[in-house]
Amino acid sequence: MKIFSFYKGRILPWYTFVSVIYLCCYTTRANPTLLKLPNQQQQITGTITDGVIPLAGVTIKVKGTTTSVVSDFDGKYAITANTTDILIFSYLGYKTLDISIGNRKIIDVKMLDNTTSLQEVTVNAGYYSVKNSERTGSIAKITSKDIEKQPVTNILATMQGRMAGVEIIQDGGTAGGAFQIKIRGQNSLRTDGNSPLYIIDGVPYSSETIGSTETSTITASQTSPLNSINPADIESIEVLKDADATAIYGSRGANGVVLITTKKGKAGKTTVTITASSGIGKVTKMLDLMNTTQYLEMRRQAFVNDGITVYPNSAYDINGAWDQNRYTDWQKELIGGTAQINNTQLGIAGGSSSTQYLLSGNYRTETTVFPGNFGYNKGAVHFSMNHVSDDKKFKLTFSGGYTSQKNNQPSTDLTGISRSLAPNAPALYDIDGNLNWENNTFENPLASLISKGVIKTNDLLANAVLSYEIIPGLEFKTNLGFTDLKNNEVRTMPSTMYNPAYGIGSSESILLTNTTLRQSWIIEPQLRWNRTFTNGKMDILIGATAQQQKNNRLYQMGYGFASNSLINDLSSANSVFTFTSDETVYRYQAFFGRINYNWQKRFIVNLTGRRDGSSRFGPGKQFAVFGAVGAAWLFSNEKFLKENNSILSFGKLRTSYGTTGNDQIGDYQFLNTYTSAGTPYQGTIGLNPVRLFNPDFGWEINKKFEAALETGFFQDRVFLTTAWYLNRSSNQLVGIPLPGTTGFSSVNANLDATVENTGIELTLRTLNIDHKNFDWTSNFNISASKNKLISFPGLEASTYANNYVIGSSLNITKVFHYTGLNTQTGIYEFEDVNGDGLITADKDRKTVADLTPQYFGGIQNQFRFKNLQLDFLFQFVKQKNYDYIANVPAGAFYNQTAAMTNSWQQSGDNTPYQQSTTGTNGEAVTSFYNYRSSDAAIVDGSYIRLKNISLSYDLPLKMDKNLKCRLFFQGQNLMTFTSYKGGDPEFKYAGYLPPLKMYTVGVQLTF
Amino acid sequence: MKTIYKTFRSFLNENRIRINTFPILVLGVVITLLISCDNFVEVDLPGSQLNGETVFEDATTANAAMAGVYTKLRDTGLLTGRSTGLSCRLGLYSDELDYYQANDPNYFYTNSLFSAESGIQDLWNQSYNVIYSSNAVIEGVSASKSLSQNDKNHLKGEALFVRTLIHFYLLNLYGEIPYVKTTDYVQNSKVHKMPVSEVYNQIVNDLSEAVLLLPEDYISSERVRPNKAATHALLARVYLFMGLWAEAANSASAVLNNPLYTWEPDLDKIFLKGSTTTIWQFIPDSNTANSAEGNLFIFNSGPPASVALNNNLMSSFESNDQRKTHWTRAITDGNLTWYHAYKYKLDSGAGISSEYSVVFRLAEQYLIRAEARARQGDLIGAKEDLNKIRNTAGLNDTNALTSAEITTAVLNERRFEFFTEFGHRFFDLKRTGILDTTLASKPGWSHDDALWPLPAQELQANPNLNPQNSGY
Repeated sequence: MKIFSFYKGRILPWYTFVSVIYLCCYTTRANPTLLKLPNQQQQITGTITDGVIPLAGVTIKVKGTTTSVVSDFDGKYAITANTTDILIFSYLGYKTLDISIGNRKIIDVKMLDNTTSLQEVTVNAGYYSVKNSERTGSIAKITSKDIEKQPVTNILATMQGRMAGVEIIQDGGTAGGAFQIKIRGQNSLRTDGNSPLYIIDGVPYSSETIGSTETSTITASQTSPLNSINPADIESIEVLKDADATAIYGSRGANGVVLITTKKGKAGKTTVTITASSGIGKVTKMLDLMNTTQYLEMRRQAFVNDGITVYPNSAYDINGAWDQNRYTDWQKELIGGTAQINNTQLGIAGGSSSTQYLLSGNYRTETTVFPGNFGYNKGAVHFSMNHVSDDKKFKLTFSGGYTSQKNNQPSTDLTGISRSLAPNAPALYDIDGNLNWENNTFENPLASLISKGVIKTNDLLANAVLSYEIIPGLEFKTNLGFTDLKNNEVRTMPSTMYNPAYGIGSSESILLTNTTLRQSWIIEPQLRWNRTFTNGKMDILIGATAQQQKNNRLYQMGYGFASNSLINDLSSANSVFTFTSDETVYRYQAFFGRINYNWQKRFIVNLTGRRDGSSRFGPGKQFAVFGAVGAAWLFSNEKFLKENNSILSFGKLRTSYGTTGNDQIGDYQFLNTYTSAGTPYQGTIGLNPVRLFNPDFGWEINKKFEAALETGFFQDRVFLTTAWYLNRSSNQLVGIPLPGTTGFSSVNANLDATVENTGIELTLRTLNIDHKNFDWTSNFNISASKNKLISFPGLEASTYANNYVIGSSLNITKVFHYTGLNTQTGIYEFEDVNGDGLITADKDRKTVADLTPQYFGGIQNQFRFKNLQLDFLFQFVKQKNYDYIANVPAGAFYNQTAAMTNSWQQSGDNTPYQQSTTGTNGEAVTSFYNYRSSDAAIVDGSYIRLKNISLSYDLPLKMDKNLKCRLFFQGQNLMTFTSYKGGDPEFKYAGYLPPLKMYTVGVQLTF
Repeated sequence: MKTIYKTFRSFLNENRIRINTFPILVLGVVITLLISCDNFVEVDLPGSQLNGETVFEDATTANAAMAGVYTKLRDTGLLTGRSTGLSCRLGLYSDELDYYQANDPNYFYTNSLFSAESGIQDLWNQSYNVIYSSNAVIEGVSASKSLSQNDKNHLKGEALFVRTLIHFYLLNLYGEIPYVKTTDYVQNSKVHKMPVSEVYNQIVNDLSEAVLLLPEDYISSERVRPNKAATHALLARVYLFMGLWAEAANSASAVLNNPLYTWEPDLDKIFLKGSTTTIWQFIPDSNTANSAEGNLFIFNSGPPASVALNNNLMSSFESNDQRKTHWTRAITDGNLTWYHAYKYKLDSGAGISSEYSVVFRLAEQYLIRAEARARQGDLIGAKEDLNKIRNTAGLNDTNALTSAEITTAVLNERRFEFFTEFGHRFFDLKRTGILDTTLASKPGWSHDDALWPLPAQELQANPNLNPQNSGY
């Protein structure tokens, strides 16, 4: 890795700067005078609509000339042309129309959605945008059309199954939960260092979790700030994958970049759009658990097996304390509810040709599937304004969004208890309607609902882009961004959540509060220059970044209250402890540049680079340089193909190679520090060492290579993109796991290990039928990837020896090899690899199970019949995953899957499961936990899921042309096909509420 | 810079180019600013953190580093009075406590620990984390340039005391363990196990040094920081476990002869914060809180929520044993009766704190000396010490006569004196070799349970710790 400081080369950017100035001056001199307008023949006027509303901003051009006008506010235009001329109507996202004028003076035009103009679509590449046909990098995109069809709140959910190379897993079905995303596999050995960089309208948006694990206990991971983004305000999401696209993001591009562009206003009449929808959500899949008869049978057998003849006092399920004829389906009772989902969106947009605006508001509520009164509310406001000065030299874009969320959830996810509670456990409520404690024998699961977790997040995001065209072709632009997030999480544990018989009073009630403030700003001045030569076009961009992010966290506990009604007031607590009160600053600066040359629309070369400095590294390690080269050959523009080819309409071969980095290690990690222990000793708040310190770690570096073929056939009605990539990450920046004897579990350091990700991605889009009344489009994507640890000097002697294998994926787990049940002893048996007669984790967990998905993707079909549209997406994943195995051996006071009824009972029994034990049979307990860590616990977790279905109907409203009414039905996760038996196959962390299936219906009015 | 600009200007003039120079100048300024501030990415230390070296240049922060160690000892790891500490876990593991939270299995109670069990892993890691912090204090004060010699001495002494104490427990739980004396992770990640005798030698060495460093008096008004006597008390215990009877008796005498400690005949006052028999105790985290043990063991209605005293223990008390009356409490639902430990009488805060968790107390020193004397043949002295404890409990003098009888009587006395205190019972059964015979009838007990398994993750991360203890 090359790391050097530019102290000596400080003058270099000046040279660049001066050369650019020289080039632009050259342009001014060389610029020919404008062509003269042809003679005026007649004036053509008309109105342009999309069938319902007028379209402003449509370009109308006289073919073969430079004469062009733009339609106004009301979609009206006027242009002078000859009768023999042809008018070209073009507008982004719509089919370009060529219309011969003839004798007409009024030409009204209805523009049609363009479903095939893939080549013309502009793709946002962050610092610049590029025509799809001319891009050299690998960029996947979805637009508001796809996003709007999905009744979800998190933008990552909208991408699932729709983008090749992007693997997304939902953490769980609780509203406000997070998603796991991996773009082209895992690059870093550090499991938390694989997040992509998120950029919203040019402003980096930190996806680092907020809050505290103690206050957001309902979800598998801490609160994700990404929930603040309202999907309905998103115009498009682009995912940058290869070096060509990501190297300009330098140190933060290793795991890909997710660019989010919000909606902007369009010139034209003021349009109001109101969308209201309402729906329900249910848990996708429940487990097949034992009923009372099966359960009690298992329990009795366990006592027999353990040789215990007298049921202990505490075995309430079986010793007579509880009714043995009672049966409750606890899953149905505790997580089987129906969540209500309501969503309302209101948007107003419009503007003149020089100034456009958009203002929208959204309000969404979601209740839970748990019993009780919980819910998630989210309100969002989004504003956007664009302005262009009269001389078109000065441009201003402003966009701002404010989101406010309140997530009121129980502090415990009841999924775990719903699976473990004995089926003959007593009723939840007694006759008087109070929580039933069954004479102190029952830990009532509903009591945990009294302990609440309320998460409030307010998030402001503002961004302004100012640009000025200094001379034609040379533009100075500054991007200014500001984010301000405030998150407050409160978890209350009032004394009433405990059995009143324990006599716990409000003097033991607990309040936990955590406040996170995150503020960031960014300034990115840029200079861009472009020039057209006879044979080509050149684009140059140079820019600089200065960014700061400040995080404040205050985590406190209040203990003991005069009354539980004061529990939300920290100042009423008898004792207040401050566990965390800190401020961290992350600063970041960079220079970046891009040179792009497009030769005759046949060959394109794209050079990008960035020099980065990050405060996350110690002195001397802060700076590094990253860069990439990308090239494309549009062979369909070659003469030999262009002239005699009716099948191939587009052909491009592109490739790229470059480096990116990763600095996701957290702040101040290179310092040797002590921090407050939070609680006092003798009135002194103790100081504890924070970490084992190592000041000498630096960037993780990621080299990416990609080769891709993009082909369009039959006027692009069939469009196929095939990409192959090879990424290698080295100088791995990790928390190297250490034995506990060091006092800590890890130390940050660079590891001389290399991880390789290779894969093939295939995206196919076909326009199967394109008829006036009926069209049918299909999209298909599939990604097959391979993750491999290719080198790791000293792996065998390192603490990773039992985690990784050279030549295998990082996502492996080393497990015991299950050899079967000993039919004599009724105990699971495993391969004793080293033959020492013992089954030990370090010596015998040698079987490698790979949990990397072999392939995944989605098939989307979209049908339109007149005003009716049907769209559905099947998502598929081929993978292995952990089976559901209860946390404790069968036989304990804990429910099990119905399959466990088939357990060994006596010598000679050949059953799939070992003998049950109440927990006293140490050998059975040990082998049970070994079984959980054996290859028997890893099963096929593949699935095909009807991820999304959307049916909409535009009401044919004759009386009012300006009113458009659309009715729609949307569904999410409606059907899942899988052989997996452990509940829902989509999970990252076991034991949490599975994703919900949702049905919503709604109406959209536009006028 | 100036020449470049001049050249540039003249170039423009020569070529008769007129462009608006203002935006270019602005851009130039911005770029220059950005270039000139490479130190933009150098950030100050956050207000909540202190640099490792500066911590030990000031007596207040150096003391806070030691306070951090006590906080961890009190709230986590082996010595906490919470359910994860030894008082509870070894009570369940042996025969002092029964477990009632049946739907959440406790493998300490069922004696079916396995190497991947999270409880033993956590205790191991938390213990070595405390050892690390103690070593950091030792290294920090040694390197300090501005701490007074006085501060250096007592801080180093306390850190040594804590380091040995934790190693002592680890040794008796996990068997052969590494003795860690540095913060160097490179070294600590490759450590080997040490033979038991070697670990004891290290402990004795460290304690001998601590004795010299620690002051006679407590450095604060309450007995919440170890002093010289605490070190003697620990040494007495260590020698007892090592079978060095004379040394054990001498060390115990050093405490028993110390005028700071006077006998308290009232059983209800022994666990109060001002008790004169206390050698070292943990101060709770607020001045209204009481001991964690009280909160853990006390219940007011049956069946109990988590743990209750074992019935066999309850029925084994001699009649008239006042400890049964004062230190346990019966709870009945009219049908069944359960007992909880009642040494600490307050299960939560109420007004000003009155009970602190007592880690070392005088009674142990009497019984250590009693046993050591008995084993050395000083039967009169042994009985004298033993009867001191018995009489306070309202019992008559012991009728044991021979050395062996007295030793057995002392061990028996320890069962009723120290129940639910830091696993005394388990360690006594173990060091006297009667674990298997005593716990034979306990479901799940097997010979190999005398040692806990080494955590599986630990063996995977450092194979030098092999072999695993037998039976796991």
